[in-house]
Amino acid sequence: MGGPKRILIVCGTGIATSTVVARKVEEYCREQGIEVIVDQAKVMETLRGVEDYDLVISTTQLPAGVDTPSVNGLPFLTGVGVDQALQEIKEKLSAS
Amino acid sequence: MSGVTQFITSLGAAVVLPILIFVFAVILGQRPGRAFRSALLIGIGFVGIGLVINLLLEQLGPAAEGMAKRLQVDLTVIDVGWPSTSAIAFGSQVGAFVIPIGLAVNIVLLAVGLTRTLDIDLWNYWHIAFTGALVAIVTDSILWGFAAAAIHMVILLALADWSAPWIQKYYNFPGISLPHGTSAPYVFLAIPLNYLFDRIPKVRSWQADPEAIQRRFGIFGESIILGLVLGIILGILGGLPITGVLQLGINLAAVMLLLPRMVSILMEGLIPISEAARDFVQRRFPGRNLYIGLDSAIAVGAPAVIATALLMVPITLAIAVVLPGNRVLPFGDLATMPFIVCMMVPIFRGNIFRSVIAGAIAIAGGLYIATWISPTFTRAANNVNFEAPGNATQLSSLVDGANPVTGVFYGLAQFPLVGMPLLAVAALLFAWWVSRRQPEEPSPREGEPRPEEPEHAREEPQIQPGG
Repeated sequence: MGGPKRILIVCGTGIATSTVVARKVEEYCREQGIEVIVDQAKVMETLRGVEDYDLVISTTQLPAGVDTPSVNGLPFLTGVGVDQALQEIKEKLSAS
Repeated sequence: MSGVTQFITSLGAAVVLPILIFVFAVILGQRPGRAFRSALLIGIGFVGIGLVINLLLEQLGPAAEGMAKRLQVDLTVIDVGWPSTSAIAFGSQVGAFVIPIGLAVNIVLLAVGLTRTLDIDLWNYWHIAFTGALVAIVTDSILWGFAAAAIHMVILLALADWSAPWIQKYYNFPGISLPHGTSAPYVFLAIPLNYLFDRIPKVRSWQADPEAIQRRFGIFGESIILGLVLGIILGILGGLPITGVLQLGINLAAVMLLLPRMVSILMEGLIPISEAARDFVQRRFPGRNLYIGLDSAIAVGAPAVIATALLMVPITLAIAVVLPGNRVLPFGDLATMPFIVCMMVPIFRGNIFRSVIAGAIAIAGGLYIATWISPTFTRAANNVNFEAPGNATQLSSLVDGANPVTGVFYGLAQFPLVGMPLLAVAALLFAWWVSRRQPEEPSPREGEPRPEEPEHAREEPQIQPGG
């Protein structure tokens, strides 16, 4: 506990879809009063590991070596199942 | 009247585009305050991309020219990468209106049953704006440009529908299709090639392990290291002094990191309008069983895609050097290889050997296309004030400059009166053919994952059945 949680948002470019997800997650965490630092990355860059983060949210498949808790970011793009995904993010953040 | 046009042109895309986006966003029901902020961000993104492109050309130009003089390797058309290409596309006259055009085409095709895909990935409308911008320049007519963008949209939606069964099964994306301008056209290459591979004895069973490739070639996925190393190599080959070599290395590493960052500003500015448009369209087709069209970025993480893309980086550089007649120096889009292969991989059932061969064919052909269109590409870039210092250097890109669909549009635009209507008819026939052959529940066909193989990319698709 203590200090902001670090979230890494991952997608194919580290820009396109992850920017959409990042803004929504930041907005949600602000509403919930959860202090977070959000970074974005290309999935290629996660090949070397993501140890510095409490949670990874990815719109694409993560490499096998990533064992940080993760949440599927696809709902933020399709608009289907967003509330569930946000709930999952909240749970995994408070567990970390 | 011409005074007004000239005034608008002289303002430049960084001013005009934000104004237009503000107006669109307010029409679509955004609060003026939020619309203003996002419009301003778009202008800022434009300025940022312009700065980084200048840095790239200023730095890489002399090395490329030095290489041409010293080694007779004429690679003086610089691949400025998709971040620049998308900005050029959105900043063009066609780009200013591409969102309403793309949405209108999508809605009409859905209404008449020619597509099942609702493309809510508005960011990637830049692909159709890009072909539109090239066609507008070649034909000197913005109307042909609009027509080209509309026809391109038809082609992408049909390709998305056609490839959806493979994509949905391999990546486990129920109800999703990928009408992506870069990735989708390569389906045309992958389907016949896979048919061929399946019929060659021995070769049929060749495989490669994605995990091992990720471990050994992972360095090619680190774009800043790639930028640094390429900068140093190109500096040496270009005959720069040692200080110049090292500076080129650092500066190209900087470009690799900064260029995408700048686009993310542009992208952030587009989010409110793209959400408003998505809600607007989704409200109009409630309850229909549609595919949601998304960015193929969501497919890029599959191990077979990453492995193929890593191998494609050195292969692309090698092809560029040995291919006679090629003048494109691959750089910006070396980091974008996953998008070129990510819709072919499912058709090859995750087979990396086949995917790399297909990727190499796509790049070899693509470099000729990118070389061919480079004068027009350079003009399109100049139109949004992205200019190379001096005039020895030209601009192009692999995404979408090397795309076969770009080539088709560019070729036919040389005779627009015949070419464009021909392409429109062909695109509609293709869409009709796809819509007719698509049953409600797609039946397994050649090239789809077979039941005995793992269907899901998460389950290490490289394990051979029974092995």
